[in-house]
Amino acid sequence: MNFFKTIYHSAVLENPTFVLLLGMCPTLGTTSSAINGMSMGLATTGVLICSNAAISGIKNLVPDKVRIPVYIVVIATFVTLLQMLLQAYAPALNDSLGIFIPLIVVNCILLGRAEAFASRHNVASSVADGIGSGLGFTVARTLLGACRELLGSGSIASLSIYPESWGALLFILAPGAFIMLGFLIAIYRYLQAKSTKKHSA
Amino acid sequence: MEGNRITVTGSPHVSAKRTTQSVMLNVIAALLPALACGIWIFGWRSALVAAVTIAACMLTEFLCSRYMLGRRDSLRDCTAIVTGLLLAMTLPSSIPLPMAFAGGVFAIGVGKMAFGGTGQNIFNPALVGRVFLLISFPVEMTTWPLPLSPDGLTGATLLSAMKESGVDAASIDVAQMAIGNMGGSLGEVGAIALIAGWLYLTARRIIRLVIPVAILASIALLAAVTGNSVVIELLSGGLLLGAFFMATDYVTSPMTTKGMIVYGILIGVITFVIRHYGSYPEGISFAILIMNGCTPLINKLTRPRVFGERRKR
Amino acid sequence: MAGVLTITTMIAGFLLGYVYRSTAEARDKASSDKLVGAISQVVSGFDNDPVSSKTTVTAGSSQITIYPATHDGRLIGCAAESSSDNGFSGKITIVAGFDPDGNILGYEVTSHAETPGLGAKMNDWFRGTGSRSVIGRNPSSRPLKVSKDGGEVDGITAATISSRAFLEALNIASEGAMTYFRQSTENK
Repeated sequence: MNFFKTIYHSAVLENPTFVLLLGMCPTLGTTSSAINGMSMGLATTGVLICSNAAISGIKNLVPDKVRIPVYIVVIATFVTLLQMLLQAYAPALNDSLGIFIPLIVVNCILLGRAEAFASRHNVASSVADGIGSGLGFTVARTLLGACRELLGSGSIASLSIYPESWGALLFILAPGAFIMLGFLIAIYRYLQAKSTKKHSA
Repeated sequence: MEGNRITVTGSPHVSAKRTTQSVMLNVIAALLPALACGIWIFGWRSALVAAVTIAACMLTEFLCSRYMLGRRDSLRDCTAIVTGLLLAMTLPSSIPLPMAFAGGVFAIGVGKMAFGGTGQNIFNPALVGRVFLLISFPVEMTTWPLPLSPDGLTGATLLSAMKESGVDAASIDVAQMAIGNMGGSLGEVGAIALIAGWLYLTARRIIRLVIPVAILASIALLAAVTGNSVVIELLSGGLLLGAFFMATDYVTSPMTTKGMIVYGILIGVITFVIRHYGSYPEGISFAILIMNGCTPLINKLTRPRVFGERRKR
Repeated sequence: MAGVLTITTMIAGFLLGYVYRSTAEARDKASSDKLVGAISQVVSGFDNDPVSSKTTVTAGSSQITIYPATHDGRLIGCAAESSSDNGFSGKITIVAGFDPDGNILGYEVTSHAETPGLGAKMNDWFRGTGSRSVIGRNPSSRPLKVSKDGGEVDGITAATISSRAFLEALNIASEGAMTYFRQSTENK
């Protein structure tokens, strides 16, 4: 598989949010606006690319029995580095993402891609997978955030579309995240089924 | 439709003249007195709100079933009208009309069609719409026009007044409550009208006595035990409307008598707990939705033994 | 096996230690900038460093952190950090500024978990117009209450619990500030 094919495969066919349903905790917790959705997605993407590359690089040195602890150490290191950098140079962003930055460690996407992809492929492919999965995650989150923001506070990326007092609060709250995610998954599956039909016909 | 196919459905197999449509028309008839009472107390805007929610429900039902489920005659069974009417009755008559419309769209679109349409929904669609509006627009949904006041004054409902400002229960005129002269949603205030509608439905054997009686009895008992006024507890808020017309929804309530009793009692208990210990003044809509979610479990646990089947040890 | 794990952990540890040290200054600056930013929002015109001269006082049952604000060595007010646990969803922490008479100069909600669109409006609501505003009021003479409880402040519509908790935190802050002012005049 070449580099770009891997990106496409990881981002679209195995989209972490819409197809694999991985990383649901931050997906539901920090998508109350498009900007929040995107920034958390990008933070995760950064960690994912680094951890995928590192794990793929050391995969032959690590015995099978301790591979999970090693993966966790690698992932946790990158997450902690990211958090320290954010605290130092982007404190506002760090505040708005709050507890969800350290929680990237337990995001299933990272361990999932490490176990399912990076431990079996070379560094270049693993980086491609990191970019693809991260991109798929980021786009899905941004979309979810934009929909929730539009319905909940009447704006997209802080650009006001209609008065905020008409926004349905439900979509800003957690239940709205579940409902909106359900509908987006349904639409995604519908479009996917349609395109498969077209290809096979 | 493909007429030469045999339709296979699960039990119970009962052959009767009763159709969904006739049941729903009876429910509508039973709701009319309470709606009339709402119009009398809060003015013609009540009727306008009802018209908007019904239109929103019918439109959503039509569009979803036509273009997503591929069914043509989805409006004929009148369930969308009942949902719209019930939703309107849980709203304050002063609610902005676009919000009422959004509530109707949400009730049918998310509460019903997302689960596959009539008969497939887990939660009562009208209550899904109401809770959506309550959570989304808390200001508009808790601003109640005062009864019989033409100049648009607003005030608190009895339950919220008792909870937040400590209104004394003894100062409340029960006779005025019974005819509906109190603040509240446009369809929940007329206790006598609601009871009349309930008696009609029960007499026509559209609904059974079990669920409403279980709800009301458990609340009355809890009120008596905790030293609250039983009459005020029963007449205030949306309790009667919910117990008579929403908790008894066929699709979302248990099928067995034993199950209905459990379901009714738990609705009563949850309502009472939310009213007295929760942060919302009224809890009947949350209680019914919670128990809607438990209905499949109740059905499973109270499933009657097939004749001749041995009892499991 | 154990060797690989040890080596991985050691590399990770060194890496973290290095970045921790090299970003320490920037991180400290960012967090104190935030605090100073909040303090200068609530009291203005000071020329000292309120964070380094902070002190704690006891008000009722709680410890209040006080950031004194001075100009040319004269006390012009202070910022008090206090909290209430009675919010709709937990703790509300605020920083409020007071002049030496106890009038509220400003406030800033620094952390809370209230419902967005409802209780979360408190950071703007109580700066609003008319009887919504708490600016200029003096809780030391009479604790602030929402109008529903017979007080003079209009609480946030449909978010009475959040409003009550906010005012509670503000009253505690006022108590702390007054205690501090009394102590500092006694010491002179």
